[in-house]
Amino acid sequence: MVVNKDLLSGVVLLVIAGLYYFGSGTIADSTLSDEVGAAGLPQVLSLVLTGLGLLLIIRSLVARRKAPRSVANDNAQDARLLRGVGFLAFGLGYVLLLPALGYFVTVALLIASIAVFERSEQRWLIPVVAVGGAAFYWAVFVKLLGVNQPIGTLWQGLLS
Amino acid sequence: MTQFWDIVHLLTATPLVFVAIGGLIWGILGGALPGISASITMALVLPFTFTMDPAQAIALLACVYIGAEYGGSIPAILIRTPGTNSAAATVIDGYELNRQGRAGEALGISLISGVIGSLFGLAMLVLLTEPLSWVALAFKPTSYFALGILGLSVIASMSGGSLIKGLSAAVIGLMIATVGTDPISGVNRYTFGIPDLLSGIEPVLVMVGLFALTELMSQSGTASLARLGASIRIKLPSLALLNRLKRSQAIGCIFGLFEGLTPGGGGSVAAFMSYNEARRWSKTPEKFGRGSEEGVAAPETANNTVASATLIPLLSFGVPSSNSTAVLLGGLLMHGLLPGPRLFEQNPQVINSLYVGSFIAIIAQIAIGILILPVCIWLVNRPRPYQAGFIFALILSGIYTLNNSTFDLTLALVFGLAGYLMRLAGFPILPMILGVVLGHMVESSYRRSLVLSGGDHMIFLEDPIAVGLLLAATGFAIYSLIREYLDNRALTLRGAEP
Repeated sequence: MVVNKDLLSGVVLLVIAGLYYFGSGTIADSTLSDEVGAAGLPQVLSLVLTGLGLLLIIRSLVARRKAPRSVANDNAQDARLLRGVGFLAFGLGYVLLLPALGYFVTVALLIASIAVFERSEQRWLIPVVAVGGAAFYWAVFVKLLGVNQPIGTLWQGLLS
Repeated sequence: MTQFWDIVHLLTATPLVFVAIGGLIWGILGGALPGISASITMALVLPFTFTMDPAQAIALLACVYIGAEYGGSIPAILIRTPGTNSAAATVIDGYELNRQGRAGEALGISLISGVIGSLFGLAMLVLLTEPLSWVALAFKPTSYFALGILGLSVIASMSGGSLIKGLSAAVIGLMIATVGTDPISGVNRYTFGIPDLLSGIEPVLVMVGLFALTELMSQSGTASLARLGASIRIKLPSLALLNRLKRSQAIGCIFGLFEGLTPGGGGSVAAFMSYNEARRWSKTPEKFGRGSEEGVAAPETANNTVASATLIPLLSFGVPSSNSTAVLLGGLLMHGLLPGPRLFEQNPQVINSLYVGSFIAIIAQIAIGILILPVCIWLVNRPRPYQAGFIFALILSGIYTLNNSTFDLTLALVFGLAGYLMRLAGFPILPMILGVVLGHMVESSYRRSLVLSGGDHMIFLEDPIAVGLLLAATGFAIYSLIREYLDNRALTLRGAEP
């Protein structure tokens, strides 16, 4: 089913506004609170967003009658969306593996896996670039800037 | 006359030259790394200044700050990631120029505009510290509220043709800014029992997610970013181009000076306001957002002016305008130096050293920039499969340094996904950034004002600074709305033509 982009956006805005308004009800009262209160701005913002969401829905319904849609463009956009989300999945993998594998290994894996995902033509070069990149970032962030990047619980366990 | 010879001596003193250039390079490196703010870059070097001569230590910190403010523009132009909050406005046209294979030109404009802004800010610092310092003291919560509203007033002109979508993005940005501990009552809002959210969501996480990750996701699967024939040389602006840029640079200087004197915005407001005004006064406003040289010059001049001008309230009254100047204040206190009029009387060598060190750093910025920027351009023109991985790793490494937290990484990924979906749905990103950056200031100042007045809104009309700023904000908003209406009407008429 083909869904109008603005119509869908308007519905998403309404959902966000509703959830945010519901969340404002859970904000605790305080004896230190002022006249506006901690929930004051959130409630105003959710009402404004509701209004904007409704406006977007109305505008999209009016515009829908005028402009024809291209199904081919929608298919291309779906493919782009999937690829973009797939790219982000490597970031999620990084977050999950970082505590266990440590900074150096996880960065090397990230660089290597993205090179494969982006269809690098020189496969033999990937491990070299990945390890070299990890070594460079380790030198900059851990050694030069003194950032306390994770060593990796896996290696700590093996070493101890 | 004695001060003159002191300055001449300092200019020729070898240690100060090394301190200034070293601080500048360190600052550019820190500013260019996403996630490492100017204040973090300064804080990292602070322990090393403990054993230094106080005059050199303060000069070093000031030079790091100058370098970091400039360095933020490098990733903004090259990888669509503002290195510092104040470089967010530079992304708009800087990255667009890069996409057109004109990265060297964009970096050259940013470099020279930064130097012009810094020199102007330094001149103001030297000449006007005492006469103008009253402005900092005159600022009340009502003024801060009005300053925030002035910043938000540019949303209409940054909505990319759809005011409803622009306003929606700004409201969502303001919603994000409410996460954390309430500024007045101290109760938790939208923290869901997660300790990492108690101090709110760092604007840099939102920016990195919306700008950089969104761009990486959008570029995934496309051909290499490398442009055939694109030069890796820095192209400094010609005299003719500089002549064309002088108006936008002047606008940047004015807004930068104004914000430098007024605690709160940290360069972001000045950059966005000057971008907006440069477009309004430009002879080619249609080029803005499509790779305008003026669109790079105005915000870069502004945020570099702020870097120097923001020292005025710090040195005069000990009022830090931003996290970075708070670190500098820490440096002063660490060496037993109390800001204020007596600092000028009792420790003139510290003040002179700061002025001269800053001057050396600003001038050296041109040479350092010419040396390191080609390397940066070469790096971003590597084959895409490796380049994407390196940029992703750099972003994730930088974000982790903020709080040593994987939760921050997750948040940035969430904002990356949100930005990607927003882009696909045609929502502009900049209004959301403005909402996140200014939300806390607007809300806390508004509510503090009402606490002071016992709930009487007339307090906003009793403060002349607030009235002036609110009038200006109203003017900006009305002008932007009229312009958008006229633009849309022109487009409709053009579309109706046979």
